[in-house]
Amino acid sequence: MMQSLSVRLANNRKFLPLGATIALFALAFVGGMILFPAMRDGQAFLNLFITTPFLLILVVGEGLVIISGGIDLSVSGVLALTTVASAALLRDGWDPWVVIALMLAMGLVFGAVMGMFIAFLKVQPFIATLAGMWLARGLCYIISDSEVRIYNPLWKLLAGTKILIPGLADPVTKKGDYVTVLVVIALAVLAVGMYIAHFTKFGRTIYSIGGGGGMNEQSSRLMGLRVDRTKVQVYMLSGFCSALAGIVYSIYVGSGHGTHATGMELTAIAAVVIGGMALTGGEGYLIGGLFGVLITALIQSLIQFNGQLSSWWTSIVIGALMLVFIGIQAMLASWNARQLTARRLGIAGSQGGMARRRRPWRDRRFLIGAGVVIAVFVGIQVIGGSSSPGSGGAAAACTLKPFRQDQAAELVKAGAVIAYERNGGSGCVDELYAIYPDGRITADNGSQVIEKQASPEEVQALLGGISDLGWFTDNMYSTSETQCGQCFTYYTTVSHNGQEKTVKAVDGGTATPANYWLVTSRLSAVLPAFGPSPQ
Amino acid sequence: MSTIRSAARRGRVTESRLFVPLIALGLILLFDLLFVPGFFNLEMKDGHLYGSLVDILRNSAPTVALAIGMTIVIATGGVDLSVGAIMAIAASVACILIDPRIIGLNLAGNIQAVVGDPTYSFVPIPVVIIAALLVAVVCGLWNGGLVAFGRIQPMVATLILMIAGRGIAQLITNSIKIIIFNDTFAFIGNGFVVLPFSLFVVTALLVGTWLLTRRTAIGLFVESVGISFRASLYSGINEKRIKLFAYAFSGFCAGVAALIAVSSIRTSDANQIGLYTELDAILAVVIGGTVLGAGGRFSLLGSVIGALVIQATQTSMYAIGVPASAITAVKAMMVIIVILLYSPQAQDLFKRAGARIGRRQVTA
Repeated sequence: MMQSLSVRLANNRKFLPLGATIALFALAFVGGMILFPAMRDGQAFLNLFITTPFLLILVVGEGLVIISGGIDLSVSGVLALTTVASAALLRDGWDPWVVIALMLAMGLVFGAVMGMFIAFLKVQPFIATLAGMWLARGLCYIISDSEVRIYNPLWKLLAGTKILIPGLADPVTKKGDYVTVLVVIALAVLAVGMYIAHFTKFGRTIYSIGGGGGMNEQSSRLMGLRVDRTKVQVYMLSGFCSALAGIVYSIYVGSGHGTHATGMELTAIAAVVIGGMALTGGEGYLIGGLFGVLITALIQSLIQFNGQLSSWWTSIVIGALMLVFIGIQAMLASWNARQLTARRLGIAGSQGGMARRRRPWRDRRFLIGAGVVIAVFVGIQVIGGSSSPGSGGAAAACTLKPFRQDQAAELVKAGAVIAYERNGGSGCVDELYAIYPDGRITADNGSQVIEKQASPEEVQALLGGISDLGWFTDNMYSTSETQCGQCFTYYTTVSHNGQEKTVKAVDGGTATPANYWLVTSRLSAVLPAFGPSPQ
Repeated sequence: MSTIRSAARRGRVTESRLFVPLIALGLILLFDLLFVPGFFNLEMKDGHLYGSLVDILRNSAPTVALAIGMTIVIATGGVDLSVGAIMAIAASVACILIDPRIIGLNLAGNIQAVVGDPTYSFVPIPVVIIAALLVAVVCGLWNGGLVAFGRIQPMVATLILMIAGRGIAQLITNSIKIIIFNDTFAFIGNGFVVLPFSLFVVTALLVGTWLLTRRTAIGLFVESVGISFRASLYSGINEKRIKLFAYAFSGFCAGVAALIAVSSIRTSDANQIGLYTELDAILAVVIGGTVLGAGGRFSLLGSVIGALVIQATQTSMYAIGVPASAITAVKAMMVIIVILLYSPQAQDLFKRAGARIGRRQVTA
């Protein structure tokens, strides 16, 4: 019995990374359900799909490229370009179906050009696709500098349609668990991708040219496979997926802008690696990509449910997970190499072979990986432990109050030149400040009202400074990012020289204009500080 | 006889590694000369030299520092994607040491009184600098450890820190943008000694690296590891230690770049500092003629000129009114041109053209 188990393990070792991914996802999800009752809702699971259809589509393309031994950094750039180009064309009244067809064709052409650079000019995929990313991002701004909203009925229809899950929803009242059309599209793309990868000649060629540090590509060439053509086709496929993901993204957010999906190529690559595909190429399964995407979405929603951890933990946890999966793959690679040597020496299957097979668990890589994961979790514990006495148990129960923007608008109407609201943070505050031209500054945090007197000149200097930082230009824009557990959200209204503008931003928000933080820091230098709140 | 020698010399010039980057820099400056009036004007104001040329040098300082480190890493056959993230971490450490009030450490005295104080620093500035560099070196050692001892592909190994690094930097500063009021620290990126002070820092780094790699055996070891780590191992070079050194050094350079960048804008913003600079640094090295992915011979000066080419292009584009956001498209064009110039097909063409000119001269 033991013998057959170990043999079965040895024969199916290639499934180990995939198995580990699925197990990790299941474990994390069950853990989340135990910790957070809200996650026991079926919709919480479906939301993992609903928030990430574009990422899944990107991962299908990126996964195929990585299996072929390349890498595609341009995916997020092409995605952003598609959102901007389609939004601009729709604004000009083009037929939506023509726009979709054009965008997909553009993705194919983009991929084809990069693929040709890689296949025929022998450019490193990293460099060629880097150029692709920069070109796509730059073209976005040439088309439109500001965000283009989409009002097309087809886009609205696709964004708004809910597909109810039979058995989990009530078809009469149209309430219950649902997914969106975009999720169905993404899953269909995944299915097609899996068919291509595992059941076509093209797919087998992709697997055969990846891996082996370029040796496999050489052997494939010698076997008579059309390596160059396959490479171009793989990048075309990835370009197509990126363009499709761009359309899905523009439906999801309802607009096109050059800053959309910044850095998503890294998330896609991380999801591919966590999904068990080797970055060296030639190994892994596209279905793993689905779980890679789900895990990244799960980490995000766990952090949101927790409410105490900040959103930047997402990237740290994803980094740590990547390390683990890269460790598993490296371990497998050394395992295979050892077996190969053993077989070559003709001692495979002997007692010595069995003993050797166990050794990789004591491999240094494994130890490094395990050590790092333990260190990260200990770090989380230490930080969590040190911060909890300060914030106390009450902070955990903090529910964010909605913005008091109406009140802020009234303050401005009453003569305030700046209304500034700070919301959230580890103390879960909700502070509203108003600065008047005569130098009076009032602040209200719901339980306390304080006041401070500054000079009118100071206020004028402040206003001038904010204006100089480009407050009333297009370079200062609100972002729609959601608040993380411990971050502050800022809501600032400035009225100066007859102009009035309100900008919202979130701490840790990656899309927030850099000058915004200069404004908030100037503001916090003059604003009065609240004392300890009266119990 | 003399024609043959001149033809041979011409061959040597076109085959020199500095040929392409220098030509590129020359073309951009020529463009400026023709289309941007007053581009070459230099002005002395209160003992400081001002002008577009000085701006180019000054703004390229962080990229140059990164490119120096990246050259060594690429020469060992690797690549370091994490330098931007390391910059963010080092910058956060420096800022938090100058002004830790922001994360709520209980400090004596009135907080408002010291905001804006140009002499205030929580720990002495030299300690700040050493700590930031140390943290950057530790990050580099982590990368090097994964590559050398973990035998993980460099691109993958450094990708981990690239993704996680910004999160770590946010963790250090609690995602708050810290404004630096300290003038001593700001001198690194903002100060002038006739020329911007950051130029002297970067020049010292370049000269130090040059001495280290060209006047000791380290440069030779780096090249030999890049060409074949197995052969290096068999000839008695500790290739693991060399790789560890390369990544740690790249981390150190990222630390220097971080100090320059953070002190010149006087704000630590973990999201923005060093964003996409790893790509600029890699591009600078590639323009400089060091081959990405192959390892082996490297040219420090080529990389520095490569970084200058990137910055000169950016500055000239701003000068003729291209919006900042569209600059990436221009950069992409630059990459494509460089790719084409360095492709085997183009090299072949150059060689054939060079040979034809040489032959014509010999027959004439």
